[in-house]
Amino acid sequence: MLTAIDLHHTYAPGAEPVLRGVDVAIAQGDFACIMGRSGSGKSTLLYALSTLLRPTSGQVHYLGRDISGLSEKERNALRGSDLAMIFQMHHLLPALTALENVLVPMLSRLRPVGAEAMARGMACLDRVGLADKARRLPGNLSGGEQQRVAIARALVCGPKVLFADEPTGSLDSATGNGIMNLLLELNAEGLTVVMVSHQPDYAALASRVITIADGRVAQSS
Amino acid sequence: MNLATIPLRNLRRKLPRTMLSVAVFSLGIASVVALAHLSKVVGDSLERKMTAFGANVLITPRTQSLSVGYGGLTLGDVSFDMRYLPVAETVAAVRAIPMKDNISVVAPKFALLTKVGGVPVGVVGVDFQSERGIKRYWQPRGGYPAGDDGVLAGSAAAAALSLDLGDAMTIEGRTFRVAGVLAPTGSEDDKVIFADIAAVQRLAGKENMAHFVEVAALCAGCPIDEITEHIQAALPDASITAMQQVVKQRMAAISFVKHLAFSVSFVIMLTACAMIGLSVFSSVNERKNEIGVLRAVGFSKAGVFSLFCLEAVLTGMTAAVLGYAGGVLAAGIVPDILETGAPSAMVFDVGEFFLTFAAVTALSAAAAAPPSLAAARLDPAAALVTL
Repeated sequence: MLTAIDLHHTYAPGAEPVLRGVDVAIAQGDFACIMGRSGSGKSTLLYALSTLLRPTSGQVHYLGRDISGLSEKERNALRGSDLAMIFQMHHLLPALTALENVLVPMLSRLRPVGAEAMARGMACLDRVGLADKARRLPGNLSGGEQQRVAIARALVCGPKVLFADEPTGSLDSATGNGIMNLLLELNAEGLTVVMVSHQPDYAALASRVITIADGRVAQSS
Repeated sequence: MNLATIPLRNLRRKLPRTMLSVAVFSLGIASVVALAHLSKVVGDSLERKMTAFGANVLITPRTQSLSVGYGGLTLGDVSFDMRYLPVAETVAAVRAIPMKDNISVVAPKFALLTKVGGVPVGVVGVDFQSERGIKRYWQPRGGYPAGDDGVLAGSAAAAALSLDLGDAMTIEGRTFRVAGVLAPTGSEDDKVIFADIAAVQRLAGKENMAHFVEVAALCAGCPIDEITEHIQAALPDASITAMQQVVKQRMAAISFVKHLAFSVSFVIMLTACAMIGLSVFSSVNERKNEIGVLRAVGFSKAGVFSLFCLEAVLTGMTAAVLGYAGGVLAAGIVPDILETGAPSAMVFDVGEFFLTFAAVTALSAAAAAPPSLAAARLDPAAALVTL
């Protein structure tokens, strides 16, 4: 479903390369966990796979199509439909309610979001167990609830792959476990999940573990 | 919910900052609106006051003249084929030119050289109503003649003829009464006697005739040459002379007021725009993570640009409404406070309001464009990596 071929990436000319020829293949329905030490290049790989970052060289194929050379507009469209992301910090817009945050990916013009989209947003909030807190501002939600809203936001456009950059990194273990269970449930429902994590406990729950060291795949299972 | 919800909520969330931005921007707009109104009112007032100090166009009949001199001694001009201007027709023609709205006063004159009590004196026939409009600096002791048997004596003429208020005098066999004596003006007006033009014309047997006609044209923003051309076209047999120096003086004074207002307005708006730009710039720096996330969920560069620009535009639109209202209010109060002597009036002009609204909206968008562009160009991966 998603394949990286000989990915190289350097953030600035003359700087140390972050990715040095990464080859990875992720199948549909996988729950892949990318592990590695800080600075190993795991987040950079995640961003390259999700089209947020254009690699210096190499290719990323999604459903057989090279997406590393897509135009800005095509990459935006892909992120707004098939590929979704969540982050270590929830990064919700503080001025919007939980439901409005979930609907943000559906805002493209001054045209109001329709009733169907609202219903879909509510369904996503319901899926993450926060239907009753749809009108709350992020500041009035706990860290775990905020991350759930971020997951609902990622789900609202019906993605096929969910990229998660250390989604439990800023949560206590109980809340982190809750988020991990939610991701596993979503994966069980057919969503492909690619997650970056430091925690071996969570990696053990994944169907695949890819270990990155010094910008290369050190181990893949 | 639509795209404008995000900037609207952000503005509401940071209400003190929003209010401060709106207040400062409104103050700037109010100053510009008030200055524009004031410069117009003061300019018009200045024009009216300056018009009171004399005419700026002179209409005379075409008269053949010949300079006479001999042995290096100039003996002056000798006029022959003396002609007159028909008063009614000349006044009507001047009042009917295309730029007739710029014509303030038309004052015909008929001069008669005669002797009063054996003393040679010039009697100038004028239409007192017109003359008062053109010579507002006149300060007569007594008053202006009410009928055609009254005269207004210049200060020097009154002294030479030993005339005082109410005295009778005989001009060409007709008795006139002194209705007023002018305070010294320092001009030729001090040396002559002013009487009703119709009466003087009858004394000379030249009914409806004038030696020359003075015209006061309002020329703020209008070229005097154009008015002169129009009068010339209307009176092809007359000679039209624009007193350029007078006109230029008036124009210079009025354009100084307008240029000053424009310069101050420009600086105010530049400062307001810089403030808006800086505010958006700081907002972009504060919200880099938000930009990264928006891009990550599929927002285009144009979408991010619109969000930040919309915030500035909404601020600008609010400030435009408040600023215009404040400016109109200030324009109605300030002339009295500053004791400019100009009339104060609160004039809400719908067209002017929409023009201000559109201009401020465009300026806000222009001021917010560079930082919004920087936000749109922000690499989402770089924005998220810095988190």
